[in-house]
Amino acid sequence: MKGLGYLEETILLLILSMRGDAYGYVISKAYEDHMGKKISISAIHSAMSRLEKKGLIKSHMGGATSERGGRRKRIFQVTDLGRATIEEIKASRQKLWGLIPGME
Amino acid sequence: MSGDPHLPPRWADRFLEWYCDENLLEEIQGDLHEAYYERLDIYGKPKADRLFVVDVIKFCRPYAFEKYSTLKQFLPMLQNYLKIGLRNILHRKGFTAINLAGLSIGIVAVMLVGLYWNSENTYDTAFPEHENIYRLMNKYRDQTYTCMKFSDYFQSSEEVEMRLINRLKEYEGVTAACHFVPSESAIGGRDKYYIEIDDTRYLGDNLLYLSSGQDFQTIFPLEFLRGSEEQAFGAYQTMTITEKLANRWFGASWKELDLVGKSVTIRDEGFLLAGVVKALPGNVHFDFDIIIHQQEIPSWAAYTYVKISDAYSIEQLMDRLNQDIDNIYPGYTEDVLSKGVTYLPLTDIHFSSGNLYEIKNTANKAYLDTFAIVGLIILLIVWTNYTNLSMSMYAERQRELGVRKVMGAMSRDITFQILAEAVLLALFCFPICCLMIYLGVPFFNELMEVQIDQMRVLSKSFLGILALLLFLSGLVSGLYPALAYGSKHTPDLFETKSRINKAWRMLSFRNVLLTTQFIMMVGLLSVTWFIYQQMEYVANQDLGYEVEGVIHFGIDGADKYKQLSTYLGQLPEVLETGANGVPGSEMYNQLTYKMEGTEEILSDGTLMEMDYGSVKTLGITCESCKSLEQGKDQLFIINRTAAKKLANILGIAPDELIGKQLITEPEWENEEYGMGIPHRIDGIIEDYKYFSLKYPHQSLLIEVEAEANWAYEMMVRLQTDDWRKTMEKVQAEYEKVEPIVPFDPMFLEERISNLYVAERRSGLLMGVLSLLTILLALMGLVGIVSHMAFNRQKEISIRKVLGASIQHILLTLNREFIILVLVATSISIPIALFFASRWLESFAFKIALKPIVVILIGIVALGLVVSLVSLLARETVNKDPAEVLRA
Repeated sequence: MKGLGYLEETILLLILSMRGDAYGYVISKAYEDHMGKKISISAIHSAMSRLEKKGLIKSHMGGATSERGGRRKRIFQVTDLGRATIEEIKASRQKLWGLIPGME
Repeated sequence: MSGDPHLPPRWADRFLEWYCDENLLEEIQGDLHEAYYERLDIYGKPKADRLFVVDVIKFCRPYAFEKYSTLKQFLPMLQNYLKIGLRNILHRKGFTAINLAGLSIGIVAVMLVGLYWNSENTYDTAFPEHENIYRLMNKYRDQTYTCMKFSDYFQSSEEVEMRLINRLKEYEGVTAACHFVPSESAIGGRDKYYIEIDDTRYLGDNLLYLSSGQDFQTIFPLEFLRGSEEQAFGAYQTMTITEKLANRWFGASWKELDLVGKSVTIRDEGFLLAGVVKALPGNVHFDFDIIIHQQEIPSWAAYTYVKISDAYSIEQLMDRLNQDIDNIYPGYTEDVLSKGVTYLPLTDIHFSSGNLYEIKNTANKAYLDTFAIVGLIILLIVWTNYTNLSMSMYAERQRELGVRKVMGAMSRDITFQILAEAVLLALFCFPICCLMIYLGVPFFNELMEVQIDQMRVLSKSFLGILALLLFLSGLVSGLYPALAYGSKHTPDLFETKSRINKAWRMLSFRNVLLTTQFIMMVGLLSVTWFIYQQMEYVANQDLGYEVEGVIHFGIDGADKYKQLSTYLGQLPEVLETGANGVPGSEMYNQLTYKMEGTEEILSDGTLMEMDYGSVKTLGITCESCKSLEQGKDQLFIINRTAAKKLANILGIAPDELIGKQLITEPEWENEEYGMGIPHRIDGIIEDYKYFSLKYPHQSLLIEVEAEANWAYEMMVRLQTDDWRKTMEKVQAEYEKVEPIVPFDPMFLEERISNLYVAERRSGLLMGVLSLLTILLALMGLVGIVSHMAFNRQKEISIRKVLGASIQHILLTLNREFIILVLVATSISIPIALFFASRWLESFAFKIALKPIVVILIGIVALGLVVSLVSLLARETVNKDPAEVLRA
């Protein structure tokens, strides 16, 4: 199991939370909405390429829109491994939270 | 930032397209455009533009341009590139052959030039601490002598010879001081010697006379293979020979012989063979086969060297020496003609000029650099030729590349494929180049009169440089086709006529390049032709005497001459013999003369002596010489040039000079005659070319003797069909008279032709260079023409369909080249005439330069180009138009 960075974890969660197409630009927008922080599209792209190399997400080329000058999007989906990983992280965090008295 | 208001800045977009990996480009560019589109509404165009640019720049990270950094993606394919490359190279034999030949010839030429340049620039650097070694030189009158005379001109003893050296060694800061004289130098006499070892006689030349061996060994360390420096230089009367000579004399097995300690006889003097040393490298300013270590050097001067310590400067040494000079040379400072001692750093000797009696010929740095530039130009031509040729080859292979792309190859793969092929082909030249250079070095040495060690070609550093140069050549010349075809869109690859090819054809740079090649070709050929014409002119010039069948050689004194003359007179092949006055000489000292009773003194006289035999041997017409047959012993005759000058002064006809008194050296006061020496003019002969044709006719003042009173050289006129046998007979007679000095004959023809060795060498070099440029220019043309014909095949077919004749089509194809050659010819007329006249400047007797020669050579070049173009285009022109147009 490879380590997962903070940004990568966030992106993984964002993709899971999104209905419909998840691709670079909308993910960056969602990140800004939910996290209240600005992020560049290139940072999202490189993080996603790392996730893909680790096998946590997979992608295929999706439809084109006119805003994109007819260029296709790369649509991302979380793989089973990705889902398992994120759940494992959640479980271990939960265990830690449970150890803190008065914070349930 | 202008352009479509709804689009981001074009340049940033293009920048992204340029660096970004193809696989990622679509999604990245899509995302950026989408973001831009939204920001346009929110922030307006300026800020959206700015943000877009920032995003593009942020994407510029290894993740996005992996296409340029992934060796790991390239390496697995390398094997495939090489396999395909190899197949193509083997498949296209004609193309490969032309390319290999062109590249090899060019690289060989460049490497030879490089070797030469390197060897010249590292002259005398083989000696340790060479920057601390200096040669001392004496300034006398207006000239600087490369040698230091001995302390006393009239008396020679060990002490006198060594006085300067011993004095120098007393100075602080002087590590070593030595002097020597090679026999093959102006002050060494250039004699040959018999050397007797164990009753066998060997012929030796280039002896180095040395009396300060230990210091010599300190300054110029020699590597002893047999014997030791103590044996060789710890005692006098020793002889040391080079490995090369040992090989020549005793065969390859000399190492098994016990050579050291053998006694040796040279000209009746005994020596001890004390050592065998490695020969000096070729790029040292002196050379030897044999070192004779003895107490006295048989000369009046010697080449003198000092080595100083790091802390001491040569200026300090010179100050010290010039203050001390009267203790070494008595009366030096009083002599107005002596101008002090100066120095030359060891490594500057090879590029020095204007000093008297230099041992080897020196070199001109400017010529050397020019030569290097010519080498670089050749390299450039080779590279561009290769580019031209590959462009035309890939034009035919477009579809193959297209299919590869359709099958999934990316631009990168095509680029690497083409580069790999180019590099592979270039590396194919490696063994060919090695062999050609290895075999070429001896010829090059002969041609340029240098001594580059053939074994250097096999050294690691040389082979490394060669491999690197070839690799680089492949890379540089493959770069243009690689990038051009790599960046092409796939559908374009299936078009017969392509856009980049047209751009390439239109490129005026190519035309400039071609014109330059044509200029070099016509110019070099013309200069070569002029040089050849001049050499022919020189060879066929009526010299005023007979050259054929005359040999000459040294003879020691009038007695031996007379004896040998009598012996030779009995041989039927011998027609005449004569003493002294061998023509075909370089200029030497001139003297002053005047007519008695006039004031005007002429200073261009050359005084010479010869016997009547020489006059007859040379077949010089001399009416007044008849009186020698009638009992007169001596005549004083002058040539027509001198007669004209003198008659002019007196205001009489030249023939009226006969019987009048001429005075030589009129400023010389002597007891016998008062001022100068008077001579009664007995006759006038027609001018003959005693000196090289480089000089105009000189005034000759000749003393002709009925019988030679002294002799140092003699001439023999022979008539024979079997030269070898006759020469053996002459040698046998010679050896009866002269047992010590070897017989060293030379044909007069050879001596005269030796006067022009340097000129002939420059002619030969020009010839080689012009052949090379012709070859390269034509090879380059092959690429361009086949490319052009391929591109224009539809046009040609349409012309044919419309009824154009083959000749007409060929003319159309040739038009461009005809214009280029014509332009090149007209440009090369002044250039060729300029360089040829510069070259001819050194000749007093010379041909007239005719521009028509250049024009004729231009026409020949035109013929060559047109026939080559037509030959290459023939295939395309003869194609069935229906087939071409249907494709």
